[in-house]
Amino acid sequence: MTNYEKLIHEANIEQARLKTRRHFLKDCGMGMGAMALSSVLWGCDTGANLNSFASGNPMAPKAPHFPGRVKSVIYLHMAGAPSQLELFDYKPELQKLNGQDCPASFLDGKRFAFIRGVPKMLGPQANFKQRGQSGAWISDFLPHLHSIADDITFVKALETDQFNHAPAQLLMHTGGARLGRPSMGSWVTYGLGTENQNLPGFVVLTSGGSTPDAGKSVWGSGFLPSVYQGIQCRSVGDPVLFINNPDNVTRDLRKASIDAINKVNQETHEEFNDPETLTRISQYELAFRMQMSAPEVMNIDSEPQYIKDMYGVTPGKASFANNVLLARKLVENGVRFVQLYDWGWDTHGTGPDASVGAGLQGKCRQVDRATTALILDLKQRGLLDETLVVWGGEFGRTPMLENREGKANPYLGRDHHVEAFTIWMAGGGIKKGFSFGETDEIGYAAVKDKALTYDIQATILHQLGFDHEKLTYQFQGRPFRLTDVHGRVLKEILS
Amino acid sequence: MKHLLNYRFLILPAIALVIGLAVWQMYPRKKVDFSTEVKPILNQHCITCHGGVKKNGGFSVLFREEALGETKSGKPAIIPGHADESELMRRLLANDPEVKMPYKKKPLSDEEIDILRRWIDEGAEWGEHWAYQPVEKPELPAAKSFASLKESEEPASEQPIDLFIRKKLSEVGLHPSVEAPKEILLRRVSLDLTGLPPSDKLVGAFLAEENPITYEEVVDALLADPAYGERWTAMWLDLARYADTKGYERDPGREIWHYRDWLIKAFNEDKPYDEFLTEQLAGDLLPNPTDDQLIATAFHRNTMTNDEGGTDNEEFRVAAVLDRVNTTWEVLMGTTFACVQCHSHPYDPIRHEDYYRFAAFFNNTRDEDTYDEYPLLRHFETEDSTKLASLKNWLEENAEPAKSKEMVQFVKTWQPAINSITADEFVDAELADTKWLVFRNHGVARLPSVELTSKNLLTYRYRTNIKDGTWTIRLDDRKNGTVIKELKMKDTGGKWAIDTLSFAGVEGSHHVYLSYESPSLTNPAANGIFFDWFHFSSQFPEGEAADEAQSTYWELLNAKVETTPIMVENPPGMTRETYVFERGNWLVKGEKVEPGVPEVFPGLPEGAPADRLGMAMWMTDPANPLTARTIINRLWEQLYGQGLAETLEDLGSQGIEPTHPELLDYLAWQLVNDHDWSLKQTLKTMVMSATYRQSSVATDDVLEADQFNQYYARAPRTRLSAEQLRDQALAVSGLLSSKMYGPSVMPYQPKGIWNSAYSNAEWKQSEGEDQYRRGVYTYWKRTSAYPAMLTFDATAREVCVARRIPTNTPLQALVLLNDSVYVEAANHLALNMRKAETNTADQIAWGYKAAMKKPITPMKSEALENLYNEAFRGYEGKDSAEAQAMQLVAAAILNLDEFVTRN
Repeated sequence: MTNYEKLIHEANIEQARLKTRRHFLKDCGMGMGAMALSSVLWGCDTGANLNSFASGNPMAPKAPHFPGRVKSVIYLHMAGAPSQLELFDYKPELQKLNGQDCPASFLDGKRFAFIRGVPKMLGPQANFKQRGQSGAWISDFLPHLHSIADDITFVKALETDQFNHAPAQLLMHTGGARLGRPSMGSWVTYGLGTENQNLPGFVVLTSGGSTPDAGKSVWGSGFLPSVYQGIQCRSVGDPVLFINNPDNVTRDLRKASIDAINKVNQETHEEFNDPETLTRISQYELAFRMQMSAPEVMNIDSEPQYIKDMYGVTPGKASFANNVLLARKLVENGVRFVQLYDWGWDTHGTGPDASVGAGLQGKCRQVDRATTALILDLKQRGLLDETLVVWGGEFGRTPMLENREGKANPYLGRDHHVEAFTIWMAGGGIKKGFSFGETDEIGYAAVKDKALTYDIQATILHQLGFDHEKLTYQFQGRPFRLTDVHGRVLKEILS
Repeated sequence: MKHLLNYRFLILPAIALVIGLAVWQMYPRKKVDFSTEVKPILNQHCITCHGGVKKNGGFSVLFREEALGETKSGKPAIIPGHADESELMRRLLANDPEVKMPYKKKPLSDEEIDILRRWIDEGAEWGEHWAYQPVEKPELPAAKSFASLKESEEPASEQPIDLFIRKKLSEVGLHPSVEAPKEILLRRVSLDLTGLPPSDKLVGAFLAEENPITYEEVVDALLADPAYGERWTAMWLDLARYADTKGYERDPGREIWHYRDWLIKAFNEDKPYDEFLTEQLAGDLLPNPTDDQLIATAFHRNTMTNDEGGTDNEEFRVAAVLDRVNTTWEVLMGTTFACVQCHSHPYDPIRHEDYYRFAAFFNNTRDEDTYDEYPLLRHFETEDSTKLASLKNWLEENAEPAKSKEMVQFVKTWQPAINSITADEFVDAELADTKWLVFRNHGVARLPSVELTSKNLLTYRYRTNIKDGTWTIRLDDRKNGTVIKELKMKDTGGKWAIDTLSFAGVEGSHHVYLSYESPSLTNPAANGIFFDWFHFSSQFPEGEAADEAQSTYWELLNAKVETTPIMVENPPGMTRETYVFERGNWLVKGEKVEPGVPEVFPGLPEGAPADRLGMAMWMTDPANPLTARTIINRLWEQLYGQGLAETLEDLGSQGIEPTHPELLDYLAWQLVNDHDWSLKQTLKTMVMSATYRQSSVATDDVLEADQFNQYYARAPRTRLSAEQLRDQALAVSGLLSSKMYGPSVMPYQPKGIWNSAYSNAEWKQSEGEDQYRRGVYTYWKRTSAYPAMLTFDATAREVCVARRIPTNTPLQALVLLNDSVYVEAANHLALNMRKAETNTADQIAWGYKAAMKKPITPMKSEALENLYNEAFRGYEGKDSAEAQAMQLVAAAILNLDEFVTRN
């Protein structure tokens, strides 16, 4: 080879190394200029990152942009949207207006999912008191939660722009109202990998009898590689799909068969020299370990009785309490992101279970004890400092009584409401006993410290050590991120 | 030298500099090339602030007229021919950090500045990115021009593909590999072309010691196999975002499988790719379209529709239209277009308005996010199709041609109809569940601006369970308007029915007010009557035996039939105007636009209409630079695991540059000019090449030099697709059904996977051979797609997916080890192994060969025999110990790397 040819040769190899075969690292090949100019080279700069893909393990642990306050997240989503006006956002003024026609100023130019014409105002259907040293307003629908009022921060002036469940859930968890974007847990495992290779990094648990309205897309990986999608684990049936061997295959025989498979694969590797074969060998070993550890971790029966009582678990059933206890076990074992969905919070007043009175109180009973137990349990294990717990729905509910298609509903109910809702957060780096943001006298809209769904996402990423503007993925010709073109870290709620 | 410069800005700056200096010294100055030299610098350093989204200082380098135009200072930044007088150069060279560009970023290298200086001095000419330039036939490299060290070992070839590949190999100091062993090659080409392993017959014929058939005969046989159409359809379904459900919250079922069957047939009959595209994009606009051409248009009816209560139908209609635009560009023309929805393309010369001009092609179809997904093609089978033929005959004899055509279309599609969701001005009326117009007692609603000239018959679809309701139709005023009809409404028992009424004709366009009352409707909140759609027309023609014809007409109109959503263009009077959406927000309308293609491309071909058909003609015109390149790149990716340009979805300046640009262009040129758009001929050319046929063994040297096989010194090894894995396991175990076509099937999946809100839909496991159909027939629910296939990188198909990114995960191991589909396949294979041979080693050898189509090696045999022995000990004492032990061995075979890999 001439020197010239050698140069080309080297240049090409260098280029190949940079580009990698898949577009995992497309940013490195194509966007390098842009990346090099920015101060942070995250995601593309290190050989370590390249190797984690080349060695076939995109879930290997990775460092975030800066040291995070927490290692994992438990996100408790009440699908259907709980009423902030019956739980946390106490509005005595609204009680005074109860039964009166809604003023035109609240209706002009607004659009609701079901309210038509002029609805009546509806006062709070629960009794409120201030709880704890912090004096947080929590209604009597959540009696257990009172005891941890001083551990949590309420975000009370949260706003979304989607008034239907599916798009609002997608907006909350993927940063876009349409299908096709990666969910928060996918972004987090893409950015951080996972600590326990014997368990999935992003686990989803559902309860309430149905998957959330937006379906499985709400924990999908969107345009990220599918390896980052949430793995739905179940408290009934196989905890992870296909994890159990056929009835006649014992663990010893499974070991023998994987050994045989890998032995043959080893020879195949010697024959063809394909690195992918080596990856497959290690993935079969990992699958074998996962078969052992996943059912173990996911077996809540092994917990002591006092812990079961504390959460109020119902073994053998797909209940929220079971899922919450499971969530604790998962983060304890190094799972990065645990996403819970509990279905059935859509209190329109169309039936007894869907009323903002007894119906909502019934749903609260299903979650109150377990949610409270989770915080206390994490705390007693010293895990609360490195875990972020988030509780909330996809939007709020109207201060008006719902009149579906212009007619009264059989029970008291509230329609979907985008302009104000409450979520709470607790755990690593979050202020204790704090309330952020205020709504007007009837809880219709934010009047102080308004926050957007993107801000919640930015804050969650921040607690994990990410600059939400820099955790990006190149797709359709531009870098995408969870928070789209929005998002502000809610520094006010950080301790 | 050109290719070197192509790469220069992609590699480490240090190396770039070294090479740059080398080039400097070795070659005389050549005119600077805009696309390969200047554009990368502008994209990298300037365009973020001076491009599509931002135009800081009034300066942009996206289009030439912008770059040379006046900036905010009133002066242009670039003066062609005079680099030294150009503000751009002054800024690049300045020392003052407030003035120097790039602003507060790393300065350009001397070499980059030199390129820009020379470029301006040479006239600052613009050039287009390679993918936007017309495809021209590149010169073939001479077969002997590249001396190589090991030439004697290389299989000789004059095939153009091999000439291009070897030229590049020689440049990088690599050599092609020897041809793969026959049995490996056979399995490879069979999986690639048909998605299935070769049949025993084909194996026998090709591997026979005496008079074997040739490789070319194998290829021809595979291309003629009906399995070919199924394999390529499986790929196309990702591009078409095909699914058996509507998507969004409720995600209920959708009947659209006729489109999937159309694809299988189209691939099998090798429908030329230009026709294949035209029929899918605009089959309905072809003269006298056949039913098949209408079914083809379901391509763009695979967009999602939303039934969630309270949604805005127009919002989701618009979402579907924009999805059609994005899909058309991304999967058919390798251009990511979605970013232009909100602003001009940040890197490529496509303007914001261009997006909406293109959207205007799609914005005039009848679909409006209705519950029933109108318009539908209604399929008339057997007796009904005979009746339709007789009705057609009668109409041809007794009606004007236009009237005859209109009536046949209405029977076949219920179009054109005014959907009830377009009603407004409701009083005691409402859109029930936002999808149907419903009246309470004394309710009124309006159908705005209905063209009534020469109309005197109204056909409508409605349901009610009230006996004494009266429907009144007024024109132009809700209270005092002329009453054109008052009618007692028949009780339909709450079921949908189609009925008709005559009214006195009026001229012109009118607002039509509909009101309803019923004395028995005492509860003011109770619903009285629901409407689905309204169709205004003239009367049924008169003539001999008109009564009989009319009753046939009504029978067909009401027949319960299979349907397929299709494209139907809005008739005059119902057309929509298209506006630019400011920043992509559909509620903020900007200027009005007419249908058109982006200016950077050649315009519509002469005589092409400004509608979808014209657009399809433009896309399939040889002058279109993207269509042929995109499909060639995709076919290559299907055979080699990666495209010649890796980013199938983006051939633009942000995509990854092709490794072999001349080869890509050669094949694209050949597709159009030599192969008359035949995909089969193109695939044949590709698989006949020595490059394709070479061995996949990688030496350490080759692996180090080209880990990701960009130069093809060896054949790629790629993991089979989700569908291929399923099909192969069923095929080698003898379970695979060869049944083709028909409604999607539900093979085994674990319980409790489907659990959607507001849906009673259930996964009902198919029975009999439907349990063992190819993956392409598996029922696809968007919000809960078939889990075993998702694990192997299949996608939910909510939107189009230009390519699947393969992964290699432990969850995949769990599927192949434990999913009942694979367990059953293994058990069946074990049964066959034990039937075929008597001793264990022979049984294992037989099973391995059935799966891999090649003989087992002693070491592999030993490993599997050991497994058998250990398993046998484990099962000892049980009746079926031998059978169970062999099942474990068979399962191991179905999990081998060789089995899941196309080698």
